[in-house]
Amino acid sequence: MRATIFDYGAGNLHSLAKALATDGVALRTETDPLAALDTDVLVLPGVGNFAVAAERLAGARDAMRDAILSGLPTLGVCLGMQLLFDESDEGPGRGLGVIPGRVTALDAARAPQIGWNSIEAMGDPLFETAPLTMAYYANGFACRPDDDDFVIAWSTHETDRFPAAVRCGQTLGVQFHPEKSSAAGVRFVRAFLQEATR
Amino acid sequence: MTLTRRVIVCLDVTGDRVVKGVRFANLEDVGDPVVLAARYEAEGADEIVFLDVSASIERRNTLLDCVRRTAEALFIPLTVGGGVRSVGDAAAALRAGADKIGVNSAAVARPALLTEMSRQFGAQCVVASIDAKRRASGWEVYVRGGSTPTGLDALAWARECSERGAGEILLTSIDRDGTRSGYDLELTDTIARAVSVPVIASGGAGSGADVRDALLRTAADAALVAGIVHDGSVTVNMIKMELQTANIATRAAA
Repeated sequence: MRATIFDYGAGNLHSLAKALATDGVALRTETDPLAALDTDVLVLPGVGNFAVAAERLAGARDAMRDAILSGLPTLGVCLGMQLLFDESDEGPGRGLGVIPGRVTALDAARAPQIGWNSIEAMGDPLFETAPLTMAYYANGFACRPDDDDFVIAWSTHETDRFPAAVRCGQTLGVQFHPEKSSAAGVRFVRAFLQEATR
Repeated sequence: MTLTRRVIVCLDVTGDRVVKGVRFANLEDVGDPVVLAARYEAEGADEIVFLDVSASIERRNTLLDCVRRTAEALFIPLTVGGGVRSVGDAAAALRAGADKIGVNSAAVARPALLTEMSRQFGAQCVVASIDAKRRASGWEVYVRGGSTPTGLDALAWARECSERGAGEILLTSIDRDGTRSGYDLELTDTIARAVSVPVIASGGAGSGADVRDALLRTAADAALVAGIVHDGSVTVNMIKMELQTANIATRAAA
């Protein structure tokens, strides 16, 4: 199976690459968003700024959106999850619009949220296969889907309950960093890959 | 449930070895960073901080290689600090596998560096490292490994760091660092209440109870430990159990 990380600029992709590197996976990192679609599994990593990422995506936005909506299994991590939505208060530019909704700032006295928070899973099979009760977050913004049916797990920072994970068919967005969430997080990424190969 | 309080292990590194000492003085070799970092992750450490205490350029290059090998074995966040002077230095550390970058002296010399790094990599990536020493009124910021006073008030500087784009503040009490007499709770709480970004308490941990007190009696999000876990007088897991006994929300060991 081919897995591709779309690299949209600054940041550390090592951990994500390590978590994805498993037997039977040919992993590559691709800076061209159109070329990145030539894959079996697409990964949108979680580093940087929404506006910068949206700009890097711009020319390929519709193609990537169509590919995901046509069933290309995609894992969006942190900012990568936020890119699945329409727009963000963090900055200008269009997200992929795979899931209707907006990205807004966390409503909290202490932000960004940095550290380990609990995950409240809503029964999605992925969390059954690879239980994740706590995960590492580093986010100042969170996704607000128009329809809560997309949400498969929640977390709460101070009084703000926000989606920890969303699902749209074969595509998954996680606000936390599974690749920074120790052994349980790595198992979660590998469970996603396994699901994608089925 | 809510965001848990973190226990962060600091590795003072020179070349490719972890050393122990009161900052730059009397350095004693305590082990291989790759081995130690993996051990601390297994014991339940929430993050690792790599602090470069090397004096020379050659050793700094060795350090990036060492960051690379350490990050290879780690699935928890890794902060790299010490000697970062530019966005380019930060980018090199990120490429080597760091998740966050600590800046100290260079930010005092040129505060715009915090903003530049924040724009480029995001606020969550930028850790303002502040070394503070008690004075007649409040605390003063020191740089160059705690050796040089700056005249800056630590409270005002912490606020400025946050406003300029730091996503986190690593606050070290120079008075307590290496003394094992407990964190400076007043300093920690004063700064943690004055800024909206998370604050990491550092300097003075002598026992699990000191870590507990720092998290129970101040608004700090996290506490940094070094010497007490390196010499085995306490393990990260034991510290976590102490926190749980005091009903402090924390992540259990993996």
